[in-house]
Amino acid sequence: MISKRFVIKRLLLLVPVLFGVATFVFAILHLAPGDPARVIAGQRASEEFVNQIRTELGLNDPIWVQYGRFLLEAVQLDFGESYQIQRGTAITEVLRNRLPVTLEMALYGQLFGILLGIPTGLLAAIKQDSLSDHLTRVGALTGISIPIYWSGPLLILLFAQVLGWLPASGRIASQYSVEMVTGMVTIDTFLSGNFAAFKSAVRHMFLPSLVIGIYSMALISRMMRSSMLEVIRQDYMRTARAKGQGSKITVLKHGFRNALIPVVTIIGIQFGSLLGGAVLTETVFGIGGIGTLLVNAIQVGDYPVVQGTVLTFAFLFTLVNLGVDITYSYLDPRIDQ
Amino acid sequence: MSSGDADGPPRDSTGRGDPSNRGSHDGGASSVSDDAPTPRERVRRLGRAALLGAVLAGLAVLALVLSGESVQFASENVFALGALVFGFSMLGWSGSVFVGDGIENVQRHLGGNSNWTETGSRQAMAVLGSVGLGGMVGASVVTVVLASVT
Repeated sequence: MISKRFVIKRLLLLVPVLFGVATFVFAILHLAPGDPARVIAGQRASEEFVNQIRTELGLNDPIWVQYGRFLLEAVQLDFGESYQIQRGTAITEVLRNRLPVTLEMALYGQLFGILLGIPTGLLAAIKQDSLSDHLTRVGALTGISIPIYWSGPLLILLFAQVLGWLPASGRIASQYSVEMVTGMVTIDTFLSGNFAAFKSAVRHMFLPSLVIGIYSMALISRMMRSSMLEVIRQDYMRTARAKGQGSKITVLKHGFRNALIPVVTIIGIQFGSLLGGAVLTETVFGIGGIGTLLVNAIQVGDYPVVQGTVLTFAFLFTLVNLGVDITYSYLDPRIDQ
Repeated sequence: MSSGDADGPPRDSTGRGDPSNRGSHDGGASSVSDDAPTPRERVRRLGRAALLGAVLAGLAVLALVLSGESVQFASENVFALGALVFGFSMLGWSGSVFVGDGIENVQRHLGGNSNWTETGSRQAMAVLGSVGLGGMVGASVVTVVLASVT
């Protein structure tokens, strides 16, 4: 049973995280070269017109006034309007359309990581120094070392070009039209009951999720192996075996849950890597998510989009870590006492 | 055969370090090491850092103005620099609390032990944050003074 006090404490931690991110982004954008008013007005606009826009945006106010106003608006989830990418559209609206794309990919990537990483790590620990252990360790090391911009094109080459099993880019085949409910195509096609469209969406989502999940899987696998090896050597495990319990039951009943504790902690940490990897993966697979939006916004100097996107990333990251903490306190009930 | 008494592992070996340090076994009385700073010392340390930040920012604004830049330019850049340090430290502090255990676990299980601890990180980030906040305040105050003089 998770205590309310523990959850509230972790929720309160969201405040300094988001406040820190907001301040950091505000500072970075003010230190970066370029003038947002000039971006809006265009390069050929007169200085008078640019100054007028500057006044309208409040850029002529003292910087601490701008900072205070930015924080107040951020608290109300008002990041203003896009300067360039979708000129005049509210940032929340821009993010609402793009966020589910990245979220879907990151969630499947995480799922890949967990579903493949935990069993392989467990197997490697139980069969320590066997061939499967060595293969798992080499695989994990390779997975951690390979960058997305290299593994992505290679997998496209193999599965899309050579074998022709999976599509190389996009989210769903063009012949299907999906009524968006959640914004995640696999879920929306499933909800609509169109199985052919669902199959197409899953096939499109498979490669990007695999690419983004490889690193996660490798890290989880290595952590699981190391943690399990440590648990196996504990006295209580020896006691259980001495009482005549089979080694499989000993490992799964007494060891697995305890070995999961440190593994769970890093799942939250590397979700940040998943979100960071989304930028590259979306670019490689031509998926228009929040990652590509951020890159485009930086390139054209669309500051409100940058601020909104980075804050959304931070919020997602902290939310996932909150979930991890709750899971963690379930695995080790002493933590929330 | 029951194996109930085989349960109840010493979980301090699998995660958050020694649970007694978190006050989870002894009714919440967390152990404090002998060299931990007292609240008064902490406040003094943070105050000194904030003062240092304010002085540095004030001098930076003055230096920029004397080198021929406008007061607005100097103020904006120095304030933003202070905000950058402050924002980074806020993020570092809360990040240390959020994922400190995870980082410590990664160090323990995957090697690369750098003696990084959540507590040490939080203390360092608090000092850094004070410097940043002091810088923001210092830059603002000096700007107001300069604006009233010129």
